[in-house]
Amino acid sequence: MASDAGITSKIRVESLNKSFNVDGRRELVLDDIQLTVGEGEFVSIIGPSGCGKSTLLNIVAGLDSPDSGTVTFEGSPGVSALGRVGYMQQKDLLLPWRTVLDNAILGLELHGMPRRQARTRALELTEFFGLKGYESQYPYALSGGMKQRAAFLRTMLMDQEIVLLDEPFGALDALTRVQMQEWLLQLWDSLRKTIVLITHDMDEAILLSDRVYVLTHRPGRVTMVLDVDLPRPRSYEQVTEPSFARLKSRLLEPLREQKPKEAQGLAGKEGL
Amino acid sequence: MKDPTGEYASGHRGQGRIGSTLSKLRSWAAPVTILLGIVVLWELGVQVWDIPKWQLPSPSEIGQELASSRSLLLEHMLVTLEEIVLGFIAALASGLVLATAIAYSRILERSVYPIVIASQTVPIIAIAPLLLIWVGYGIAPKVIVVALICFYPIAVNTVDGLKAVDPDMVNMMKTLGASRWQVFTKLQMPTAMPYMFSGIKVGISVSVIAAVIGEWVGASAGLGYLITYSQPLFLTARVFAAIVVLSAMGISLFVLASVVERMMLPWYYTEKRANSIERM
Ligand SMILES: Nc1ncnc2c1ncn2[C@@H]1O[C@H](COP(=O)(O)OP(=O)(O)O)[C@@H](O)[C@H]1O
Ligand SMILES: [Mg+2]
Repeated sequence: MASDAGITSKIRVESLNKSFNVDGRRELVLDDIQLTVGEGEFVSIIGPSGCGKSTLLNIVAGLDSPDSGTVTFEGSPGVSALGRVGYMQQKDLLLPWRTVLDNAILGLELHGMPRRQARTRALELTEFFGLKGYESQYPYALSGGMKQRAAFLRTMLMDQEIVLLDEPFGALDALTRVQMQEWLLQLWDSLRKTIVLITHDMDEAILLSDRVYVLTHRPGRVTMVLDVDLPRPRSYEQVTEPSFARLKSRLLEPLREQKPKEAQGLAGKEGL
Repeated sequence: MKDPTGEYASGHRGQGRIGSTLSKLRSWAAPVTILLGIVVLWELGVQVWDIPKWQLPSPSEIGQELASSRSLLLEHMLVTLEEIVLGFIAALASGLVLATAIAYSRILERSVYPIVIASQTVPIIAIAPLLLIWVGYGIAPKVIVVALICFYPIAVNTVDGLKAVDPDMVNMMKTLGASRWQVFTKLQMPTAMPYMFSGIKVGISVSVIAAVIGEWVGASAGLGYLITYSQPLFLTARVFAAIVVLSAMGISLFVLASVVERMMLPWYYTEKRANSIERM
């Protein structure tokens, strides 16, 4: 892969293994993962449910540690990424006693910003995140998609250079999802953040990424690294272009090679 | 997955308000009816069998007693209330401090927590007379008995609450750069609030009994004292009147705690209501 050379790597994962104890047995979840994300790159990870995508992101974010292998973060191994990368987890994890607005500003508040100032900053973005009018609602009153957007806002308000996103648009309807994808494209174009995105959606992965890592089912292993050479800036119209379709069919190859049942886990979600 | 941007969320709450008013009415109706039934049967029973007032006064006689000795009852009620309030505040303060210490330190959890739990097996009634020897006859021994009895449910429930945090939430806070203290104040403490209020409600319900026990052992005022004083004089209606006032006090304190809880945890009740409607 040409992408490994040249640019300074923000995140480098080398020979990473991770197993969990499941019913008293040790089960390998991540098998010899190699992954590099350069500064300002947009990288997606795609793979069937349960292949260890969230586990991988937890390890990169510093919440979990690998059994073997290393995660090098901004060139210095052994430095924890905790509190230094934006991480939107798969679950929304909103605090039930805080309103949408106060959930969104949690990170800013923890970093010592006065609440009033943090709220003003968050309010500028609630409209874009589809949360306008819901700022003072408690999470229980929100739909799954809105909770996810509130969690997304909380992550983006931190304004970290590196952002890890675990299926951020999973609970959104197709239309909102496309809007959010286009917004993320714009954001990335203007700010050039380093982004790692986990997704089930092949169109999303191709449209947004410079590179897509395909993981196999149990144990998660990188079977394919696809460089996406579509011109930037990109827009949703490109989804219908032949070059897009070619990339998509290449992405489908490794999935076809897997046992049908396992591949379904991915293909089934694609049309959501 | 649908992503409704309005109807879902607000419709949800509208339903909740009507539903809860109805179910509130229903939940009050049954106990009130049963209580009224008992009072009526009691009244009839006393009249039919012509039971003397010193043996068992009828509800109407108790009512008359409540009216005629209201200033006496009020005077003793204020004494008992003071004991309860002071004892409860002492229990709340010490219970929260100890619960925090236990939740924060594994060493304290292993060493002190078992002792706290074991202490509950010590019969407070047996200790109360000793308190007279140690701290004298004033208000102090009553306050201590109330504090000792209220302390346990508050401390134990709060410890449970502080430990009930979702580890995923802790991780989320860590990725946002939270310190251990911030995890404690912004996650553990709010998580523990509903548990703490459960403890407070249990504690405040038994605080009335605690004050009466404290007064029985030795006192010169208070509703518990009034009962022990009136009984040998066969002022049975007055004993019952004092009991009625004690119950009313207990219920009022419980309601007060519930109101404070609702004001402090608006998210908790609306969330519970929303969930219960989803289950219906
Ligand atoms: N803390 C844990 N303990 C035991 N097993 C776990 C734990 N976390 C994840 N797993 C298991 O590891 C596998 C991968 O999980 P996950 O990373 O969440 O997959 P994905 O995000 O790709 O759907 C699953 O089989 C899951 O059950
Ligand atoms: Mg996952």
